[in-house]
Parts: sequence; structure tokens; C-alpha cells
Amino acid sequence: MSASEMSFEEMQEEIRNQLEKLQIEEDSLQEEMSTIMNQAPFLNEKIKSLKKLVPALKIIEHDAVGLVNTINDISDSSEKISGKIRLLDEARSRVQECQSRVCDLIDLEICSQGVQAAILDSDYEKGAAHVHRFLSMDQSLLQKTANDVENISNTLKSVRTLQDATSQLRALVEHKFNEAVRNEDLVSIERFFKIFPLLGIHEVGITEFCTYLRGKVSLTAEKNLKTAITTPISDKRYNIIFADTLTLLFEGLAKVIDIHQPLLETYYGPGRLFSAVNILQKECDVQVRRIFNEWMKCRQINKKMQQISEISRIGPNSSFSKLERIDPKDLDILIGEITFMHYRSELYIRFIQRKVMADIEIGILDSQKKEECINAFSQALNNSELTQLKHELLSHYLRLEQYFMEESINKAVAMDSVDSSQQTSSMVDDTFFIVRKCIRRSISSGNLDGICAIINTACRVLENDFCDVLRSKLRQGYPSGYLDLTQAYNVLQSSIQQGRLQSGDTEQSRTAFIVALNNADSCIEYVDALCEGVLKEIENALPGMNSNEHGKLESCLSGLSSVTSNLKEIIEYGIQQLRSSVIKPRVNPWVDAFLNISHQFTEEELSVYEAGETFVQTLIMNLESLLSSFKDMLTVANYDAFVGALTTEVTQRLEKVILKSSFNGLGGLILDKEVRSLASYITAATSWSVRDKFARLTQIATVLNLEQVSEIADYWGNHDGALTWRLTPSELRSFLLLRTDFKPDDVKRLKL
Amino acid sequence: MHCDQVSKDRQIENFVKPYEMCCTPYYKLDFSEVTRKLCRDKNSRNEIVANLKVCKIIIVGDVSVGKTSIVNRFCRKMFDSSYKSTIGVDFEMECFEILGIPYNLQIWDTAGQERFKSIAQSYYRNSHVVVVVFDLSKSETLSNTRKWFLDAMHTCGDMLPYVFLVGTKKDLLGGFAYKNAELSAVNVAKSINAEYWPVSSKNGENIDSLFARIAVLTFDDCVKNELLRPREIYIGSNMISGKANRSDSKKNSKCTKC
Repeated sequence: MSASEMSFEEMQEEIRNQLEKLQIEEDSLQEEMSTIMNQAPFLNEKIKSLKKLVPALKIIEHDAVGLVNTINDISDSSEKISGKIRLLDEARSRVQECQSRVCDLIDLEICSQGVQAAILDSDYEKGAAHVHRFLSMDQSLLQKTANDVENISNTLKSVRTLQDATSQLRALVEHKFNEAVRNEDLVSIERFFKIFPLLGIHEVGITEFCTYLRGKVSLTAEKNLKTAITTPISDKRYNIIFADTLTLLFEGLAKVIDIHQPLLETYYGPGRLFSAVNILQKECDVQVRRIFNEWMKCRQINKKMQQISEISRIGPNSSFSKLERIDPKDLDILIGEITFMHYRSELYIRFIQRKVMADIEIGILDSQKKEECINAFSQALNNSELTQLKHELLSHYLRLEQYFMEESINKAVAMDSVDSSQQTSSMVDDTFFIVRKCIRRSISSGNLDGICAIINTACRVLENDFCDVLRSKLRQGYPSGYLDLTQAYNVLQSSIQQGRLQSGDTEQSRTAFIVALNNADSCIEYVDALCEGVLKEIENALPGMNSNEHGKLESCLSGLSSVTSNLKEIIEYGIQQLRSSVIKPRVNPWVDAFLNISHQFTEEELSVYEAGETFVQTLIMNLESLLSSFKDMLTVANYDAFVGALTTEVTQRLEKVILKSSFNGLGGLILDKEVRSLASYITAATSWSVRDKFARLTQIATVLNLEQVSEIADYWGNHDGALTWRLTPSELRSFLLLRTDFKPDDVKRLKL
Repeated sequence: MHCDQVSKDRQIENFVKPYEMCCTPYYKLDFSEVTRKLCRDKNSRNEIVANLKVCKIIIVGDVSVGKTSIVNRFCRKMFDSSYKSTIGVDFEMECFEILGIPYNLQIWDTAGQERFKSIAQSYYRNSHVVVVVFDLSKSETLSNTRKWFLDAMHTCGDMLPYVFLVGTKKDLLGGFAYKNAELSAVNVAKSINAEYWPVSSKNGENIDSLFARIAVLTFDDCVKNELLRPREIYIGSNMISGKANRSDSKKNSKCTKC
């Protein structure tokens, strides 16, 4: 019962839901309908306007069909016309072809008749012209024509005649050419040279002609070499006679190429210089090798190389090698000759490269073929004896130049002399003169790799050998000398007793030390100037460097300029030496005098103190006398470094003695004053800023000069007036505690 | 000299291991603590970038063993099987980015011919790395490596460079033949105290890893030495310390010379 009731209620509920749904649906449908109804008049309007369009469209359609028909008609008729024209064209080209064939046939007849006569008359030009005409005909076409024409035998006979004549002429011209060469008959040589291309044998012509030229070059070269070998030593040019011979050879070859290139281009066409140069290059290689061998023999290159490598193997320090050492001066001229020879070879290679490349550029149009040609040419050039010998020359040059540089610098160091009017010694000028000379000479070889290698060598010699010399001089130290007169007197006494006077030695080693220090400083300048100058010179000498070559050069030069960092280390070392042997022993007692003075002044004591000679006056006077003794001896930069070291020493020592003293207010005031005058004295003494070195000391003086402990707040903290402190809080406290009138508790209570 | 953009494959975050642990005298397997710390810290990073030196590498070996091919594969990702001899010395720059810091390799590719020896020799000094190259398929080129090595050691000056023994044309040898070649190569590598790497420029095998290995080894040293050293300059002592950091592994190499 209750279940059915429940279900009834449920059903009722459901029905109500359904009803609701239906109502919603109805509403939406109604809405849709009303919108549709709203659209109806609008649509009707549209339909009406469309209806009006229909007749107009019909007219257009009709017209369009008419147009299509007309166009079709036109195209048909034009098709007909053009077809006729095409036929006509074809006919005309056939007629032309026919004409040319007939022409060919007629020419064939004429040629075949003329060629024999010409050969008999020895009129080779005419004969060759006939053959050239024959060769320019399409041979296969000729054969076909012959088949078409009635009197086959006649045509074929002509062809055969001409073929025979061609080979006959070829043999004849070759023979005649060789005869002309044998007779040195220049006119005939040129005459037959021009005939070769007419006969279609360009390569044979070039080969024959260039072989002839080769012979001529060879004769002159041999003569030149003989003269070179027999040149007496007394001759002015004896020392560069082989470079001269090489130059003559290259000039001769260049002249041959220059004269014959236009001839070749006119009769053989462009793009054939490569073959010609190839043949001439063979002779060039032979001759260069001969000159090179004679040069090696005459200048005893192998022996010298052996000696040099022997010396470098044994090392520079062993004594028994001294006897057989080659004097670098003796090599100077020889090295000059090598660079000269190398430069000439380089120039000649560049010359033929330029010539042949230009010729290939014009003569060969197909890009792939061009590339092949260029590759073949550069390969041939790279593998040529000339290039190899050029590299060998460079190699000899480098070894000799390296030896020259090392030995000359060794000599410069050994012969080092000090002129008392100069701050530096002769070895600096000499060394950099040598280095510059060597690099300049390498530039004159015209080879970047050579230049770079010499720069590297210079870098090595300077950084190792030369810096070692400076270093070892400094390592001997600066003799500290006598601190006061009594000591000096004692030393003098004892040395007189022992029969030797030391002071001379000491003076000498002092000068040596100072000079070495100055040398290092002026070397820095020299190195910088060298790098700059060399870069400019190389850029002028090798204008066409690409970015890679530039990178190479710059990286070598940066190696050279980094020598300065070694030199700076050396100077630093020297200054440290001075600090410990000169500055410390003198400065310490001067500063320690501070301890002899009480810094707890009464007003009265203060005026007495200030009336007399104060501590700082004495100190400045002492410093003045020390500095003045060094000022003229040292270079500007070294003097500044010396003052810097002195300042460090004075300030550090002063800080220490301050810590051992105690002050009252007036004492602090005096200290502050004294520190200020010391700082301003030293600042005036040097072009460098030494303020930084005084920072701590000034701050200590400020601290000790406070009126009250609390005043420190004006200087400490994060506000605008605060100082950038160099003292740590605990240091600050310990300095404050030096003031006897400050209460330790106040100091401890400070918040820092 | 500096490079703006470093491609992905030139960025290194993890240390590169040797080809085989058994054939290297350099046992470093990770960046040192100092280096990592310096590279992480912002201030020291800038200092490193400003002061870091380029790594100079010199490549030597017999004629036509494939020195230039290695460089071409590494720098240009190309291989040309036709032979063209190098004249004098070629020069390439390549940039890595190690732990976020740009690091330049300067590669000097020398010519193998005797007549270019004096040019090549002038570059030995101050080079950080000497790569001695031989042809795996030609045993005589391997035996000549000793000569190249001694030459380099004779002229390299105070700074002892890292030495790598690199066998080329690995693609030409199959299983057994390669095993054989490797065996003798490892022996030579041990006797001259060099790290051994077999490579193929044709298919690129090991080329990038070899240079990455060179880069991380020298980078670690450079960051450590160049930045920590200048604080205390003392002549004499600094030269010793420059040598000392690698002298332990190098001591043996001296013995082999005599």
C-alpha cells in the first residue's frame, strides 16, 4: 500500500518534472518560431530582388557563348597560319643546312685541290688554312653527305686526300719547326708556331715551342751560373752572387712568359698558358736546383748547419766548443743572401700564379673545369722543385737566423758595458737592436710562417736567456753597505789590514744591481714598442693577409708582448731585494726613534717639542737623503716602485711602534699632524699615488686624535660621514686603548 | 679572439674521461674542488673570464698521418680524402664553454716534412698540449712518434705540456688488425708517458671527445694556476711551483729519455 503510494508520489513528481521540461521546450520553440517569423519579410524581399536578376543573367550567358565561339574560330585560323610558318622555317633551315653542305663540298673540292698544290709550293700557311677549313667541317656529316650525293667516289676521295694532307702537313710542320730550331731561324720558328693551331694540334705546338724556349732559357742560365761560380771573391757582388743568378733566371723566365703570352693568346686562344708555363717550370726547376746546389757547395751550408746543430746540442755553456763557434757576424751576409733568394722565389711564384690564374679566368668558362684546372695548377706549383727549394731555403734561413740571434745576444750580454751617464747598460740597446734586425730581415723574406717563427724565437730568447741574465744579476743582491760612519770605518780598517779594499767591489756590484733593474724596466718599453712597430711593418710588407693569417701573426706577437710580464716579475723581485737590503736596515732604526719620545705631552712639553727637531722632521730628512741617493740612479718607474716599497716599510714599521707607545690627547694630536706631513712629503716625492698605502696609518692617527671615545661614532657605521675602514674592530679597540685618558671600559663598551 | 655563441656540443659541464684508464698518465677524473668553487662564485667568475689564457695545442707527426684531417673534422666537421700537404703551419681557434666559462683552444697544425721542422719547433715552447699523431695502419709512423716526442720535450722549455698519442684512420682497420695496432700503441704511449686515443677523422669517431678531454684537463690547470699564482710573486719559487703540479706524473718521462 505504502509502496504504491510512494510510487504514486514519485510518479507525480516525475510527471511534474516532465511537464516542466516540456514547458521549457515549448518556450524555446516559441522563441525560435518568432525569430523565424521575423526573418520572413526580409527573406521575401531578397527573393524578389533575385527574381529581377534572372533575365539579365540570361543575356550575359548568351553573349558569353558567342564570345567563346569567336575565340575558337580565331585560334583555329591562327593555328593554320602558324603551321604554315613553321613549315616555312623548317624548309628554310634545311635549305641553309643544304647550302652549308654544298659550301662544305665545294670547299672540300677546293681544299683538296689546293692543299696538294700548297704543299708542293711549300706554302704551308695556305695548306694549313685548307686543312683548318677541312677540320672545321663536321666530319660525320661529311660522310653522310657523301652517301647522299651521286658521285660518292669523288667526295670520298677529297676527304681522303685532305686527311692524308693533314697528317702529312702535321709531320711536315713539326719537322720544319725542329729544323728551324736547329738553325736558330727565328722567323721560321714563329711562322711554324702559328701553323700548329691551324692543323688542330695546339698541344703539340705549345710543347714544341716551349721546349725550344726551354732550351734557350737553359743556355742563358748555364752561362749565368758559370759566371757566378767564377766570380772572384773581390767582386762587389760576390756575397750575393747566387741571389743575383737566381734573379736573372727568374727575370729571364718572366720575360719569356711576358713576350710570348700575347702570341699564344692570339694564335692558340686563351686558357693555354697553363700548359706553356708547365713546360717552362720544368726548366726553372732544373736550373733552380743547380743554382741551389752550387750555392750550398760554395757557401758550405751543410758544414755550417752541422756546426750549428752541434753547438746547440752541446749547449752554450760548455767551454771546449768555443773554438769552433761561428761568429754570428760572419753569417750576417749569408743570411741576407738567403732572404734575398727566398724573396725572389716568392715573387716569381706569385708572378706565374697571377698570370696563369688570370688566363684561366678568361679562357675557361665552365666553372667545374675551371676549378679542376686551378687545382691542377696549384698542385703542380706546390709540388714543383722551386717551391720545395723555397721551403728548404726558409728552413736554412730560420736555423741560421735563430743561431744568429742567440749568439749575437750572447755576445751583447758578454760585452755589456755601463756608461755612468746612462741608467741602463749597453746590452739592452744592443739586444733589441739585434731582435729588431732579425725580425725585419724575416719580414724581407716575404713569408709569414718565417716571420712568425722568428718572432717566436725572439720571444724564447728574450724570455729565457735574456731574462735569466737579468735575474741572475739581481739574485746576487744589493750589498747593503754601511749603516753609519763607525761601521764604515771598521770595515775600512779591517780591509786595509787584510790588504784589500772592498769598497770598490761593493760599489761595482751595487751599480750592477741597479743597472740590471733599470735594464728590466727599459726592456718593457722596448718590447711594447717592438710589437707595435713590427705589426705595422708586417702589415705593410704583406698587404693581402686574410683573417686566419692575421690571427696567426697576432697570437705570435701576443706571445712576444707577454715577455713584459716576466720583466715585471723581475723588477718586483729586484725591488724586494732592495727593500730587505737597503730600506729595512735603514728605515727601522729611524722609525724606532719614535719610541724614544714620550707621547703624553703637557702644553709646555708640547711647545718645547715643537720648537726642537721633531720626530717627523728627522725622519723626513733621513728619507730625503736615502731617496735622493736613488732618484738619479733609477728609472722613473723603478724609482716609483722603490718609493712604494719604502712607503710600505715605513708605514708598517710606524704602525708597530705606535702600538708599543701610549698617548694622551696632545700626543694623539701630534701624531695626527706628523702622519699628515709624512704622507704629504712622500706623495710629493713620487708621481704614483701612495695615499692608499697611508690609509691605515691615517686612520690610526684619526683614532688616536679623538676627543672622546664616543666620537668614533662620527666615523664608524653606515652613515654618510663614515670612513671605509681598513682597521678591524678589534684593531680599532686596541688603538683606542693606547690613549691613557680613555677609559678601557668605555672602549670595551663600544658597539662596532 | 673571444667567441660570442658557443654551440651545444662545445659546452662542457662534466669532466671528460680518458679513452682508457689504463693508458693515461693523467689520473684526473673530475674538476678540482678549487676550480668548481671559483667557477661557481660570481666574483671570481668574472676574474677568470678576464684572465683565462688560451690553451695552445701543437699537433705533430709524420707526413700524411692525418694531422690536418683531425683539425678539419674537429673545427669544420668535414673530411676530404684527397691529400694536400700542409705548408709551414696552420692555425685554428675553437671555443668551448666549460662550467659556463668560455675557453679558447688555439690549435697549431704543423707540416710533417723535414723542411718545415724549424717552423714547427718555434711553436713547441709555451704550448700546453702536444698531440703526437701516427697512422694506425702504418707501424713505422708509430715508431717515429718517439722522435717527435723527444723533439717536443727538447724544445718546450720549462713548462711541461700534456702529451697525447693519437692514432688515426681507425676506420681502415678491422677487429684483429686494430687490436694488434692498439697493443703496440699503448706500449709506446706508456713509454713516453702520453695519453692514448684512437680516432677516425673520416667518421669522426673520438675526435670531439679527444679535444674535450684536452680542454677540461688544461682548463682545470689554468683556472687553478693562473688565478691563484699571481697573488704571491716570487721569482724562482714560482717557476718551481709551475712545474711541480705536474712533475709527479712527469718524472717517469724524464727517465725514458736516457
